[in-house]
Amino acid sequence: MELTGTHALNQPPEVVWAALFDPEVLRDAIPGCEQLDQTGDNAFAATVKVKIGPVSARFKGEVELSEMVPPHSCLLSGKGSGGLAGFAKGSARVELVAQDGGTVLSYVADAALGGKLASLGSRLIQSTANKLANEFFTSFSQTLNGEAEPQPPQEPQQQIA
Amino acid sequence: MTAHPAISTTAPDAGAAQDRPAHIGHPHRRQNALRHLAGRGNFVSDMQLPRMVHAAFLRSPMARARIATLDVEAARSAPGVVAVFTAADLNPLCANWTSNLDHFSGMVSTPQNILAEDETLWAGHPVAMVLARSRAEAEDALEYIELELDELPPVCGVEAALDPGTAPAAPGLSSNLCYRNELRTEGVEAAFASAALVVQADYAFGRHTAVTLEPRAIVADFDPASGQLTVHHGTQTPFQFQDIYARHFGLPDHKVRVVSPDVGGSFGMKLHLYNEEMAAVAATLRLHRPVRFVADRLESFQTDIHAREHHVKARMALDADGMILAMDVDDHAPIGAFSAYPRTSVVEGNQAFRLMGAPYRMREYRGRLNVLFQNKVQTSQYRAVGHPIACAVTETLLDQAAARLEIDPWDIRARNVIPDDAYPCASATGYRFEKLSHQRSLEKLRELMGYDALRTEQAALRGRGVYRGIGLATFVEITNPGAAFYGVGGARISAQDGAVVRLTPGGEVHCAISVTEQGQGTETMIAQVVADQLGVSPDQVKVTTGDTDATPSGGATWACRGAGIGGETALLAGRDLARQILTIAGAVLQADPATLALRRGEVVDAATGAARLPLAEIGRIATYRPDTLPAGVDNSLTVARHFAPSGYPFGFTNGIQAAWVEVDPETGLVRLLKHWVVEDCGRIINPLLVDEQIRGGVVQGLGPALFEECLYDDDGQLLNGSLADYLVPMACEMPDIVIGHVETPTEDTILGAKGVGEAGTAAAGAAVMNAVNDALSPLGARLTQTPMTPARILAALGIGQD
Repeated sequence: MELTGTHALNQPPEVVWAALFDPEVLRDAIPGCEQLDQTGDNAFAATVKVKIGPVSARFKGEVELSEMVPPHSCLLSGKGSGGLAGFAKGSARVELVAQDGGTVLSYVADAALGGKLASLGSRLIQSTANKLANEFFTSFSQTLNGEAEPQPPQEPQQQIA
Repeated sequence: MTAHPAISTTAPDAGAAQDRPAHIGHPHRRQNALRHLAGRGNFVSDMQLPRMVHAAFLRSPMARARIATLDVEAARSAPGVVAVFTAADLNPLCANWTSNLDHFSGMVSTPQNILAEDETLWAGHPVAMVLARSRAEAEDALEYIELELDELPPVCGVEAALDPGTAPAAPGLSSNLCYRNELRTEGVEAAFASAALVVQADYAFGRHTAVTLEPRAIVADFDPASGQLTVHHGTQTPFQFQDIYARHFGLPDHKVRVVSPDVGGSFGMKLHLYNEEMAAVAATLRLHRPVRFVADRLESFQTDIHAREHHVKARMALDADGMILAMDVDDHAPIGAFSAYPRTSVVEGNQAFRLMGAPYRMREYRGRLNVLFQNKVQTSQYRAVGHPIACAVTETLLDQAAARLEIDPWDIRARNVIPDDAYPCASATGYRFEKLSHQRSLEKLRELMGYDALRTEQAALRGRGVYRGIGLATFVEITNPGAAFYGVGGARISAQDGAVVRLTPGGEVHCAISVTEQGQGTETMIAQVVADQLGVSPDQVKVTTGDTDATPSGGATWACRGAGIGGETALLAGRDLARQILTIAGAVLQADPATLALRRGEVVDAATGAARLPLAEIGRIATYRPDTLPAGVDNSLTVARHFAPSGYPFGFTNGIQAAWVEVDPETGLVRLLKHWVVEDCGRIINPLLVDEQIRGGVVQGLGPALFEECLYDDDGQLLNGSLADYLVPMACEMPDIVIGHVETPTEDTILGAKGVGEAGTAAAGAAVMNAVNDALSPLGARLTQTPMTPARILAALGIGQD
C-alpha cells in the first residue's frame, strides 16, 4: 500500500525539522500515541493504539531515521507489532521545501500489514491511514504554532494551514 | 416434474402387487427437515458438556517466519485460563502426519504436527493454544503471549514456486514441486500437425473456500477411567477420524468414538485433518476435560482448506468438421506449504487434468500437471474435485472452435460427444465409462431450454444493444469410487460401507449405516431403500448415521458415494432381513417362505396379497416368545451387511448444463437469467433430493465463477477474510434452475444408483463462462479468469480501471 501526502506548515523548514525529531511534539501529535521514547540518536520506540475497521490494536514499534539531509529530507522506517491484530511495517520518505516563509512537507510512504489487520481491514486501511495522517499533521501544525493544548482531530479533508 | 416409472429395485420375494407403492423413485421430503425447522438441531457447535473448556489459538500473522521468542507464562494467570500449550506440550502426544498416496509416484510433502515448532508456514498457522472457561477469556489470554517472529520470504504464486532461486515453502523440501505427472497418447503431435484448426487459451482459476453455514466444530472428551476418547466432530467422515485419532494418539480404535450429529454443511472441507482438531484431542488427553473448538469466521478463512487455484495453458486441435482431435493441457496448481492429510492436495489437479475432454470422442491427449507448494493455507478436495477446471477449459475451447468454424455450439457438441451406443469405452486419459447418455441429454436439454427460440431472442436483443449470452457445458462426473481412489495408495480410507438393519420388537425398522448426513438427505434416501425391501413406509424406518459406536465402519459420504454405495449396502441388508423375517413367518404360519411376501407392514400371501401376519407379531414372537418357534429356527431380527463396489473403478455420470445471462458492458455486471441442467445419475431414489442436490451444486459452481475468491497480497497475507469482503452467491442473484433427467442405471449394482452431489458444481461455472463470452462476442472481449468480476469484464472490454 502506498500513501502520499502534502501539507503546508507556516513555520520555516528548520523549525519543522527540529519538531519532527522532538519526542514531546511527536507524542502529542501521533493519534493514539500512549508512549514515545527516544532510544538512540535517530531511533524512537512507541506504543500507539489504532482502530482499523473492526480491529483495535495496541502497536509496539520502533522507528528509525536515516538518509538525513537537514533540514530537507529523511527516510523513516519502522515496524510494529499489534499482538493478536497482526503487524505493520513500512517506510516513508519525507521532504521539506521552504515556501513563502513556511514549509511544504511531502511524504511518500510504503506500508504493509499482516495478520488479522490484513485479513479483516485491508479495504479500510487506505482511508484509515489517510485519516490518521491528517490528524497527525493537524496536531503537529497546531503544536508548531504554539497552541498550548492539543486539539481534537479535525475533519480529514480539512486543509492544514 | 419428470415421471419416475415403477422400477424393479424391490426384493423379488417382497412381491410386486399393485397396492404397494415403491418408495424408491418418490419425492419424499427430508426427514430431518422438520426437526431443524423446529429448532431441534443437534450441532456440535451448540454442544455443552460439564467441565468443558474452550480453545483459542495464537496464530502466525506472517506467511513464513522463524519463531524467535515464544513466552506463554503471562497468559497462564489470565482470568479464566485453565491451560496454555505450545508445541512442546502437545506435539509429543501425536505422531506426525505426512500426506502421500503411493499411486502418486514421486509426490513429496513434509511431516506436520499440531502446533508450529520452529517455523510457521502460512498466515494463520497456530503457534500456541489457550484453554479457558469461555472462548472470550481464552481469546483475551492470547494477548498475554509474547511471540516474536523473524520474517522469512514466503513463496507466493506459480512463478515464485517454479523459480529455482526461491527457498522452499517448508523446511525439509528441496524444491517447491509437490507432484508432477504427464499423460500422453502416441499420436498427439500428429493430431496437432494435421489439425484444420487449433484454438488455445490461458486460464486462471481463483482460490475459493467452502464457507459452511456451521464452521468447523469439535468437542473432544477423554475419560481416563475407561480410557475412552469421545470426539463430537462436525465431519462427514467419522470413521476416517476414528482411525486418525487412534493411530496418531496411540489409542486402540475401539477406545475412540467419533460422533458426527447434525453437520451444517461440509462439501469436502470437513473431511481433511486440521491442526485445531488434533489440538483439541491432544488437550483433552492432557486435561481430562472436554475441550471445545469452534472456528470463528476469520479462522475458517485462515485455516479451512481452500479449493482450486489452477493456472492452465490449453490447446485443442480440431478437423474442418469441428471434430476434436486432441487436447494439450499444462496445469500448474499451487497448494499450501504441505499437502493436506490424509487425502493429499494432489487429487484436485489429478482429476482436473484427467477429466479434460472426457465427454468427447477425443483420441489424443497430452496433459502435464505440476502441483506446487506455496505459503498459503492448504488446498484440498472440495465439492466437484477438479471437475469445474476440466469442464471450463474443455467447454470454452470448444466454443472458441465453434465460433471459428461457424458451427453452432449445440451442433459441435452433438458431433463430438461419445455416442450413447458406443459404451463401454474409455477416455483418452484412461477413464473407463460403463454407460453414459450424452446424446439423449443433449436432446433433452435442447427441448427443455427452447434452444432455438432463445437464440432468436438473443439475436433480436443484440440489435437493441442488449448483450445476452447462451453457454453450454457438457460434463462427466466421477462418483461411486472404489478402492482405486485412495485405498490402493495406502490411505486408510474405506471404499466399502456397512449397514445393520433390524426389526424392532414393535415391528418397526431401524437401520444403522456408515454413510453420513450433512443436510443432503442421506437418511431419507436410505429409509426409502430399506422400506422397499421390507414392504414398509419410509417413516417406519429410523436411520442412524454418524456415530462410530452405533454403526458399522465405512467410507461415509464423499465423492458422491452415499446413494450408490450406501444405498446398495442398505438394499442388501434390507433384503437379508426380509428373507429372515419371511423364514420366521413361514415357521409361524407353517407356510413355505417362498409363498409369502412383505407389503404394507405385513406378511402377506405373495400370490393374492392377503394379509397373513403383521410385522409387529413377528417382532413380538421373535423377541418375547422365541420358545414358541420350532426348534432350529433362528429368531434373529438383526442383520449386518457390507458392500464394496467391485465393477468399474468409478461410477461415471454425465449431463449438460446451460446458462442464459445478460452482461452490461458499461458496468461489467452479469445477470444470471436462467440455468438448465439435464443430468443422468442412474436410478433416482428421491427426485426431490436429487433436484435440490443439483440446484445447490449449481449455486456452488456459480459462486466461484462470478463472486468467490480468496485474495492474497505478495507477502501471502489473505486480504478478504470476512463475509464483508468475500462474496458468496446470494439468493437474489441466483437464477431459476430448471432440471431434467435421463436415467441410465449402473449395472454394477442392483439399485443402479450413481452419485449426483457434485454434478451441479462440475459444469455451472463453465456454462456461465461460455454464456458471458457469448454475450461479449460482438464486443470482441473474452474472459478466461475466474471469478468473472465486473472489473475483469470491463478490463476484457478494454475499459481501464483505477
